[in-house]
Amino acid sequence: LDDPTDNVVPFPSSSTSRSRDLAPLREALRELRGEIDHRFPAGGASGLTGSASADAKRLDWIALFDELRERLGQLGVAERSNEVDSFGLDLMTLARAGALMDFLVDRYWRVEVRGAEGLPDAGPVVFVANHAGVIPWDGLVFAHCLARERPGWPRVRILLGDPRVTLPFAQPVLARLGVVRACRENAERLLSQGKSVLAFPEGERGATKVFGARYHVQRFERGCAVEAAVRRGVPLVPLGIVGAEEVHPLLFKASTVGRAIGVPFLPVTPSFPALGPLGAVPLPSKWQIEVGEPMDAGVFAAARERDGRGTPALEEALRDRVRALVARGLSARGSAWR
Amino acid sequence: LDVKPPLRLLPNVTFHPIDLTEPLAATRLAEVLQAHEIEVLVHLAFRAFPSRDVDADHDLETLGSSNVLEACAEAGVRRLVIDSSTMVYGARPDNPNFLEETDELRADPGAPPVQNRLAVEHLVQSWRERNPTVDCTVLRRCWVMGPAFFDAVVALFDADWVPTVLGYDPLLQFVHEDDLLYVFERATLEPHPGVFNVVGRGVVPLSSLLANAGKWRLPVPQAWLSRAVGVASMRASGSSADALTDYLRFLWVADGSRGWGEFGEPLYSTREAWSAFVGARRMRQHV
Repeated sequence: LDDPTDNVVPFPSSSTSRSRDLAPLREALRELRGEIDHRFPAGGASGLTGSASADAKRLDWIALFDELRERLGQLGVAERSNEVDSFGLDLMTLARAGALMDFLVDRYWRVEVRGAEGLPDAGPVVFVANHAGVIPWDGLVFAHCLARERPGWPRVRILLGDPRVTLPFAQPVLARLGVVRACRENAERLLSQGKSVLAFPEGERGATKVFGARYHVQRFERGCAVEAAVRRGVPLVPLGIVGAEEVHPLLFKASTVGRAIGVPFLPVTPSFPALGPLGAVPLPSKWQIEVGEPMDAGVFAAARERDGRGTPALEEALRDRVRALVARGLSARGSAWR
Repeated sequence: LDVKPPLRLLPNVTFHPIDLTEPLAATRLAEVLQAHEIEVLVHLAFRAFPSRDVDADHDLETLGSSNVLEACAEAGVRRLVIDSSTMVYGARPDNPNFLEETDELRADPGAPPVQNRLAVEHLVQSWRERNPTVDCTVLRRCWVMGPAFFDAVVALFDADWVPTVLGYDPLLQFVHEDDLLYVFERATLEPHPGVFNVVGRGVVPLSSLLANAGKWRLPVPQAWLSRAVGVASMRASGSSADALTDYLRFLWVADGSRGWGEFGEPLYSTREAWSAFVGARRMRQHV
């Protein structure tokens, strides 16, 4: 409408009797109806009846462009979730990724989870696992398996270390899938919200293991999640994830090339960068996930109070458990490519 | 108190022209405050749009604020409310997902408008230690959205094409102008000493905001965008502000629970504040 003020319908004041005022209101509404019919001739209706006139066939380029622009602007709105949670997890993205994850877990990697029945009925829990690969497939797969195993739990969040969690392009996707930057504040906040956390205390040293060093559990870094678990008395569950360390067998770390493009090193696998983007496709190894007995972190709190310097004893104990689980998983799995 | 008189003056309001950048502004301001026996001062002398002259902005915001603080101490003002921004926390890749009031302020030195706010924060901190009897409220607000509010940030989101940094999709938070005004009102009328983040509930990714508003994303590689911002700000003001692009890359979401506990639940969430802004703009376009 060119001028909205000329279409103002005088509305009856509420102080007078309603029944008496209905007649002028109806009159005004009919006038308005007539005005609308007059100003907007029923183009859509005539199109529906199939008697499209020559007028309608004449292209209105401006309207067409406007419509095209609007459509393009709305492209992707439908599948975009309206809400992400406070850590950027998007349930709609998760649901869409679910089909792919189902395929990867059941068919591609044939993931077998053992010992999940030992998990407590309710969270939160801090999972501590071995780690491999620049792309955190192990975390995503375990989160998917856990969501099946314990549907009532809130989604487990994957804590990742610094250089990777802020990588452009990867970062938004990872955040929507439940990856959170590993730091003390985040771990504390997640646990206080009752959300379980998956930590990789090997850190970047684990992510950048070369193929020859696979399943050698590296020294644990000062884990923020373990600290938080001790402080809050949350049980710690060690995990041995077997199979993830073969999906991207890292042959070399090309540091010179990497530094030239601004990353610590360029991973060289049999397929990357030789095959370009195809190199990001993981190899179909057989997976075995061993879930350990929950450990009560509370007993270490006293030691921590006494020493006041982190939790080295706990970290060492955890590392032993993870190592034992990895060994168990390896022997249970047998060949990697079977 | 302002440099130029307002268009309309409410009946019980008096206006005093004061230029905070003058050398003797502190004494003049103190005289005015004493003459009216002022008890509460709300310090809002910050630019909505960074001006062409960085030094003038610095004079007004940093030196002006120190003048204000000095005058308040001299005139015996009992309560002081200061407008600040959550941008002073800095957008850093190693930020936790939620920044609390006690966290370190790590704004990048490459962003002069934020540096002024940061300088004011430091001034206020030391001033509070020297004047412990004064109720001093610092309101760190995130980006404000709403039907009427307009500043440089809103101008960025007002266009049909919004430049974003290629490969990044930060979580943003907004506060609605009504909620902000309410918090300012409460802080003015009642004592609420301390520092508070004033933010709306919830966070929304930038891409989702723009898609819902039917705006276009213009993803630009970070190096180009920061260079463009740098060149533009250099042309405008003689100094480069390329660190501002970090606010479209990294997390700098503030935890509002302390402010919500003190001033009550905000009426609008981040998404609702954004919708209010978008709705009002659309209305204005079509009317």
